[in-house]
Amino acid sequence: MPNIVVLVKQVPDTYSERRLSDSDHTLDRDSADAVLDEINERAVEEALLIKEAQGGEVTVLSVGPDRATEAIRKALSMGADKAVHVSDPALHGSCVIQTSKVIAAAVGKVDGVDLVIAGNEATDGRSGAVPAILAELLGYPQLTHARKVVIEGTTIKVTRETDEGLTHLEASLPAVVSVGEKINEPRYPSFKGIMAAKKKPVETLTVADLGIDAGEVGLASATSTVVEAAPKPPRAAGQKVEDEGDGGAKIAEYLVGQKLI
Amino acid sequence: MSPAPDRPEQDLLYSDVEEELRASVRALLAARADSARVLGRVEDEQPLDLDLWRALAVDLGATSLPIPEALGGQGAGLRETAVVAEELGRSVAPVPFLGSAVLATGALLHLLGQGAERGGPDAQAEAALTRLAEGAATAALVIPLSTYPGGPLPAVSADGDALTGTVRSVADAAVADLLVVLAGDVLFLVEAAAARVTPVVSLDLTRPVADVVLDATPGVRLSGSGEAAVRAAVLVGAGILASEQVGIAEWCLSTTVAYLKERYQFGRPVGSFQSLKHRLADLWQELVLARAAARAAADALATGAEDLEITVLVAQSLCAAVALHAAEEAVQLHGGIGMTWEHPVHLYLKRAKADEIALGTPGRHRAALAPLVGLTA
Repeated sequence: MPNIVVLVKQVPDTYSERRLSDSDHTLDRDSADAVLDEINERAVEEALLIKEAQGGEVTVLSVGPDRATEAIRKALSMGADKAVHVSDPALHGSCVIQTSKVIAAAVGKVDGVDLVIAGNEATDGRSGAVPAILAELLGYPQLTHARKVVIEGTTIKVTRETDEGLTHLEASLPAVVSVGEKINEPRYPSFKGIMAAKKKPVETLTVADLGIDAGEVGLASATSTVVEAAPKPPRAAGQKVEDEGDGGAKIAEYLVGQKLI
Repeated sequence: MSPAPDRPEQDLLYSDVEEELRASVRALLAARADSARVLGRVEDEQPLDLDLWRALAVDLGATSLPIPEALGGQGAGLRETAVVAEELGRSVAPVPFLGSAVLATGALLHLLGQGAERGGPDAQAEAALTRLAEGAATAALVIPLSTYPGGPLPAVSADGDALTGTVRSVADAAVADLLVVLAGDVLFLVEAAAARVTPVVSLDLTRPVADVVLDATPGVRLSGSGEAAVRAAVLVGAGILASEQVGIAEWCLSTTVAYLKERYQFGRPVGSFQSLKHRLADLWQELVLARAAARAAADALATGAEDLEITVLVAQSLCAAVALHAAEEAVQLHGGIGMTWEHPVHLYLKRAKADEIALGTPGRHRAALAPLVGLTA
């Protein structure tokens, strides 16, 4: 009966135009529609599959501004049991290490955690480092980039997929897992799930509630900040080749020059 | 204006729950009923997507919203049903929602309501609704799709429990397991396998119709006034159809706006030409009005408001015309591509045109509306 914590993040919809704010180069959350990050839906789905097979409890954990409750509601309407929401203006502009510290402290607020499931990388920050940093802070083994998760008693087996191939990992619980795109297909919230989510408890915490000083988090003390941001330059015009009977040869020359053939 | 004491306050907005239900249905339809997929199957032998239907019924519970929880339904109402209809209109998803989840369900639910007054609901009607709620069966109400509120109902005769008669152009009958048939003033349940159901060609490729022939076909008699139940279901259907029409119009407008922004002609986006902007702005205003009327109808259906009939007739006569106009504009403003089979807009034009005739034309609705609001010739 594993007790599972799923990390979820509200991100700007990837289909809308995403921007950084002009003043401090942090994410401009108002400029785009906010949604539950798709990879987190898969993380929630995996937790629910484990719960359905083995019992236990699924807690959703999110660090984010007040409106992140929408993302939390979605995870609850999919079937998670309860939620912890860390919301504090002091967190604005926090780096991955600060964020991971806050998450680690919040995980500590949940009793008897056996497994933490996260997405491998959020679509906004794309650092992909939080699961690993969190595992380090919690002192748990990290089984990242999972495309298959099996729990047998207190042992967890994960198939990790990277560009190099598949790696088979095994560790004992408690552990941190991050899941990739191929892990599963997330379910759609049912009407009953949506109604039930309204009644599920969401505990809202500030950084002070977690025993963290507000000065330790936020943009001012972040280990990394965005100094400058510029839109991607428009694609330059391509090179035109006039075909005077030697077009094929010129294309081959170009491809050789690019080391493509 | 303060509401009358016996009338719940009218609410034309979407609740949080309705928005979340919409998001879930929309996500499912985006994944399983995108334009390419819908277009791809319209010429199939079975144009209706029964896998998608099962997902809507079993995974989401979107097809049994007004059915009580005690019967396996969602215990919600027609406001939520209308939101699902809107989304299904937006995607012209080929599922038997109108025939099964709106018309047949509406008639059976009305019978149950009558039963409460008589001191006991009909066990057969309850069992049928439970099968629908569980997604174990799909039903069709055996009336022509063109039946209108207050209009004539099909003449099927009953000899004991054996039914005989022909009803043409029944929506979603070809995939129904269960037929709900009116004979005289009695509603019967008929296993579809026992009847002759012949698909016929419809203008609307995404909502197939079929002729139903009963020849001394055995039926199960349900207690209560069948005619009152069918008339109530037609009114419910007309009201929910208004929301579907809003969905059609919304897709047509938003898709056309997006196209006119990206289509360049004479070195500028086509949408920058003022005469086109005016047409889109007019459409937008029509859509806003239609949405308000459709929401009013859904709300009145959910609360059983006193002016229910007026509200539905207003919505249906308005939304039918708006959906059709939006679809016609979408075809024309898309230019050449809008005339091709490969672009989905023709599906919307056909659905809008079929919906205009379904459950009463705007003319029929206005004729029925006039005396109710004191306009006499």
